[in-house]
Amino acid sequence: MIRQLSIFVENEVGSLARITTALKDNNINLRAISSFDSPEYGIMRLIADDPAKTKEVLNQLGFAVKITEVIAVELEDEPGALDNVLHILANAGISVNYIYSFVLRKNNAPLMILNMADMEVAESILVRHGVKVVGEEELH
Amino acid sequence: MIWAKEETLPREQLEEIQLARLKETARYIYEKVRPYREKMDEAHVRPEDVRTLEDLRRFPFTTKYDFQNNYPMGLFAVPRDQLVRVHASSGTTGKPKIVGYTRNDLKMWTNNVSRIACMGGATGHDIVQLCFGYGMFTGALGLHYGLENIGDLVMPTSSGNTKRQIMYMQDMGTTLLVATPSYALYLAEQAIGMGIDPKTDLQVKIGLFGGEGMTEPMRKEMHRLWGDDFMATQNYGMSELCGPGVAGECQELCGMHINEDWFIPEIIDSETGEVLPAGEKGELVVTCLGKEALPLIRYRTGDITRLMYEPCKCGRTTVRMENISGRSDDMLVVRATNVFPSQIEAVLGQVPEIGPHYEIIVDKKNHMDVMEIKVELIDDRLLDSYGALEALERRIRTQLRSVLSLDAVVKLVAPNSLKRFEGKARRVTDLRKDRE
Repeated sequence: MIRQLSIFVENEVGSLARITTALKDNNINLRAISSFDSPEYGIMRLIADDPAKTKEVLNQLGFAVKITEVIAVELEDEPGALDNVLHILANAGISVNYIYSFVLRKNNAPLMILNMADMEVAESILVRHGVKVVGEEELH
Repeated sequence: MIWAKEETLPREQLEEIQLARLKETARYIYEKVRPYREKMDEAHVRPEDVRTLEDLRRFPFTTKYDFQNNYPMGLFAVPRDQLVRVHASSGTTGKPKIVGYTRNDLKMWTNNVSRIACMGGATGHDIVQLCFGYGMFTGALGLHYGLENIGDLVMPTSSGNTKRQIMYMQDMGTTLLVATPSYALYLAEQAIGMGIDPKTDLQVKIGLFGGEGMTEPMRKEMHRLWGDDFMATQNYGMSELCGPGVAGECQELCGMHINEDWFIPEIIDSETGEVLPAGEKGELVVTCLGKEALPLIRYRTGDITRLMYEPCKCGRTTVRMENISGRSDDMLVVRATNVFPSQIEAVLGQVPEIGPHYEIIVDKKNHMDVMEIKVELIDDRLLDSYGALEALERRIRTQLRSVLSLDAVVKLVAPNSLKRFEGKARRVTDLRKDRE
């Protein structure tokens, strides 16, 4: 499992940029980022190379930040790869809270970030079905 | 039509009535209401000290905090079995102010409202649509009884459901509208939106407005929408004093005549408590005469106004008060409901997920007030789930509604994003005045 940061951002000009500036100034590298359009406020989710330090930096700037665990799975770059993973979870009765993707540079493999209610059960089911679950050390 | 002869008495006769009733009220309250008796003892004033009306100045004030400290019925002068009605209005905390009436109080209240209705042009032959919310607030039932008393036909349509309101206006031939001025404007615009022109397609010719102040720009707008011959007056009251029926505008539109034989007004400097000379602007203080259940001496209304003693063309000799120009405290009137920021603070203080700072923004949309409350999210455990954040907003909104009887928009903002104040916090932004 890998650690993700969830940050409360108000829907106003420059609020995302304030976060990225803070990360740049502290030399923190971003691996993945996800944010949706929403009328009032949003939750920005990101994966950075030092989650604890990132939280500290953002907290000091007054952001509400939570570290949550997510599962990263590496997929073959071919049609049906994600479909396979989602069916494994669906068949096990596990519902996905959210999902987003990014690409790991060193082998160009697409990675999927998944969050669900019971992460440990999900992880063991995925592993049992031969899905490649990536650990935090492999990201950086 | 002038409802009661007391409205036209020469001042000396009026003052004779006031003095006799004040002596009786002072004696009655001293005997029956322990909290006020203690205040009088502390101020070394006795009922028999009332020799002239000037002596009223020696009496201590009654304030909203007396209601808070003696909740629910500690200021009442009669046992519960003599009460026939209670109403309530916003208190400064989570608890409301409870006000009560005996059978005689209801009669007096009803007659005072009848006077105000006649001042505003009611005839006894009107078809009334009463769009105040019925319930614990005094507005609806007060006007209801007062208008029935003069012989009007009253339809208690209550508030909301605008399309149905317009249907009743059309089908029943409503001639007199009781509402907040904001709602009357909103109704007219909705009617126009439905293809009904209030000026020609409806018969509404009289508007008795209350619950919130009506400014001159609002009155102008009222004529634009309802017609030049629409008689739009406002009236004044507050639950603590009885409800509506304290004062009302006559058709000369030069201030609200106070029913002085039942209410003695004073204007004070709200900082020092000193009575100001006639004609000066300050906080209105009212002494209620002849009330059985809830006698009040020198109640500080918090409303800023001015009194005008010059005679009025309408024939009434009673003093007139100017449109309320502000508050001596931080009370807000939102959709005719009194809101104290301290009530909101009390609710927010019970929610551990948010910080102690908040901001209240009141604005107008389509003539109606909207209140938004910004709170800082401090509990980061809720993050990562939009559902959890929305549930928090909903929960705060529900709790606010139960205390304020009013819907507010709750908006979560980031920690440390609201303004901090070193001195007295200014948490309220009222944008409504800019919109007029």
